[in-house]
Amino acid sequence: MEAAIQLSGVTKTFGKVTAVDRLDLTVPRGAMYGFIGPNGAGKSTSIRMIMSILFPDSGELSVLGHRSALDAKDRIGYLPEERGVYKKMRVSAFLMYIARLKGLHDAGLRTRISEALERVGLDGVERKRCDELSKGMSQKVQLIAAIIHKPDLLILDEPFSGLDPVSMRTLRDLILEENRRGATILFSTHVMPQAEEICDHVVMIHKGRKVLDDDVREIRRQYDPRVVQLEPLDAGMDPSKLPALPEIERVEQVDHRFRILLREGADPQAVMRRLLETIPAARIELARPRLEDVFVRLVGGTS
Amino acid sequence: MNRIFCIAARDFLATVATKGFIIGLLITPAMIAAFTLVGPRLFGARTFKVEGDIAVVDPTGVVLPQLKAALDPQGAAARRTEEFRRALSRAPESVRKMAETSADQAMTNLLGPAPDVGLVEHPPDADLDQVKMWLRDDTEGRRRLAVVVIHRDAVNPAANSSYGAYDLYVPPRLDNRAADYIYQRVREAIVNARIASQGLNPKLIEAIAEVRRPNSITITRGEETQTVGGFNFLLPIAFTMLMFIGLMTGGQGMLTSMIEEKSSRVVEVLLSAVSPMQLMAGKLIAYMAISLLGMGIYILMGLALLSSFSLLGVFDPWLILYLFIFFIIGFLVVGSLMMAVGAAVNELSEAQSLQMPLILILITPWFLWPHISNSPNSMLSIAVSHAPPINTFGMLLRMASTQPPATWEVWLSIAIGIVSVFAALWAAAKIFRIGLLMYGKPPNFATLIRWVRAA
Repeated sequence: MEAAIQLSGVTKTFGKVTAVDRLDLTVPRGAMYGFIGPNGAGKSTSIRMIMSILFPDSGELSVLGHRSALDAKDRIGYLPEERGVYKKMRVSAFLMYIARLKGLHDAGLRTRISEALERVGLDGVERKRCDELSKGMSQKVQLIAAIIHKPDLLILDEPFSGLDPVSMRTLRDLILEENRRGATILFSTHVMPQAEEICDHVVMIHKGRKVLDDDVREIRRQYDPRVVQLEPLDAGMDPSKLPALPEIERVEQVDHRFRILLREGADPQAVMRRLLETIPAARIELARPRLEDVFVRLVGGTS
Repeated sequence: MNRIFCIAARDFLATVATKGFIIGLLITPAMIAAFTLVGPRLFGARTFKVEGDIAVVDPTGVVLPQLKAALDPQGAAARRTEEFRRALSRAPESVRKMAETSADQAMTNLLGPAPDVGLVEHPPDADLDQVKMWLRDDTEGRRRLAVVVIHRDAVNPAANSSYGAYDLYVPPRLDNRAADYIYQRVREAIVNARIASQGLNPKLIEAIAEVRRPNSITITRGEETQTVGGFNFLLPIAFTMLMFIGLMTGGQGMLTSMIEEKSSRVVEVLLSAVSPMQLMAGKLIAYMAISLLGMGIYILMGLALLSSFSLLGVFDPWLILYLFIFFIIGFLVVGSLMMAVGAAVNELSEAQSLQMPLILILITPWFLWPHISNSPNSMLSIAVSHAPPINTFGMLLRMASTQPPATWEVWLSIAIGIVSVFAALWAAAKIFRIGLLMYGKPPNFATLIRWVRAA
């Protein structure tokens, strides 16, 4: 099946700065892709090129089978990082305007807008002016503007920035719902745990270059940190009481917990069993590798 | 195309449905009406009355009776009526009819209230210092306007000498209109005394000296109409002003809207749905329609005014067509450049330095207007009427002048205008596309040129 997004060797420079450097990317249809990296990594520039808002200096790209997103704009939903609304416009008028620009006809549009607003808990705000909305409400309205035309491809640039946890959860559910509906989702963020939570696959970018492009489970498998986290029942336990196992390379104490780093090739299950035999534990777990740790490991001191 | 009109419709409605637009549209005619109706009352032009006394020392003994006659209220009234009749004879028929229905009021409006000037006679050998003291002692009753001392030889000069005149002493801060009135009446009295001393009939001399100005008739293809003085003078400036107002309001509105959309970050949301060129085209159409609406309303108001004075016949309707053609050309050039500036900057204050040269160029025809109107076929006038972006103004001024250019010249200017539209759109589109997503330090001219030259 043809990919929803295909980039090969895409490069973009601004003056002497190379914002995106020979980027290859393939996002299959129906996937939930995370596009992660620190601020200034080149994520927004890449997305703007995908959206044909900016044009690459070199390289090839295709979006939903077209060489330019301009030819498929009606099938793409986009929530830009730098987003805004017409402050003096009423919410329903703003959404109708964007929907018309996306090629929707007026028939049934009001109902669709009302239902979408209701879905995110904003029922009754249609007549409100956009400048009367809180930041969270405004962000929800903007996400509705991005999905009102039921796009095949949804590109979200930092969709959760500045949101409270409740609004974040509402938006996350909406995004997951869109994915279940069949939309391909490319989700960009510099907050890596967010991507870790909802994406199947992540592409990591640093200084314009791709440093990682893999399935989340595979990343966890590959970047197993070999760390066991132990919380003893005795909160004031001395670290010297930990058994001197040959598999243990180092022990770090964080408050009343211990991070136990295992040697290369050590069997974590065996170590955890041995530890439990010696220390009464409130909790013991094998730490899951975090994308942040993977990122730091990949880019080392250059980040 | 639907998207372009969708953008145009939103911007059009978002502007014309605001109180600001409606007030802005009405404020110009309201100001003109206020100046026409209230201005003269405010400035007191109609209420000034020459009132007071003049002391006269007349050693000749023949000027004083003439001066009495010149200042006589009945004589003054007859003179005012004649003056009013002459002024009215040059006005359009509808104005004449209107004035005739309330002649006294119309005369007062035109000439001000009738003067009321009395004479204080002094003997020929009166002490001049005493008479001057009268002028200083202004404590009681009527205002003391002047002391007139007629020269002994003012009427009958000595042999081989020229006529004498008179000395005039006035108090400080005498109104110019009062001083003029005194000059005219004393002059009239002396001249009449001289004519009488020669044994001539003053009425006959006056009749011989007067040649009435004719009511000129303008010959058009269809009819003959009375020439309206000042119309040819006012028409070009009215048209140029209309176009200037249209371009500036539309251009400025577009610039502000662009900056607002950019600073509120809504522009990227729009760009996810339309291309930069569709956005630009939509905005150009919207603001051109807004300007045309404003201009159309002003033109209709002007035509209604002309029609109420039966002056529609003296107006060439082709000029309106050309006004619209030149306006569209001018708007597309100026508007697209204004929008490019709006897209390139982040705040209105940053736009000022970039739009200033454009505004300076646009006001150039205002400085050249008297020259173009008087010499529409001079080298400068021809150059201005073909050099974009001011060719639209220049050609319109020439067309409304007394020596309009040949039709091929007009169409050559239009053709140059169309080429300049494409050039401006091309340059503006490049700046627009790059500038829209540029934030931070505002660009200078060198940067804008680099953007234009970029692929």
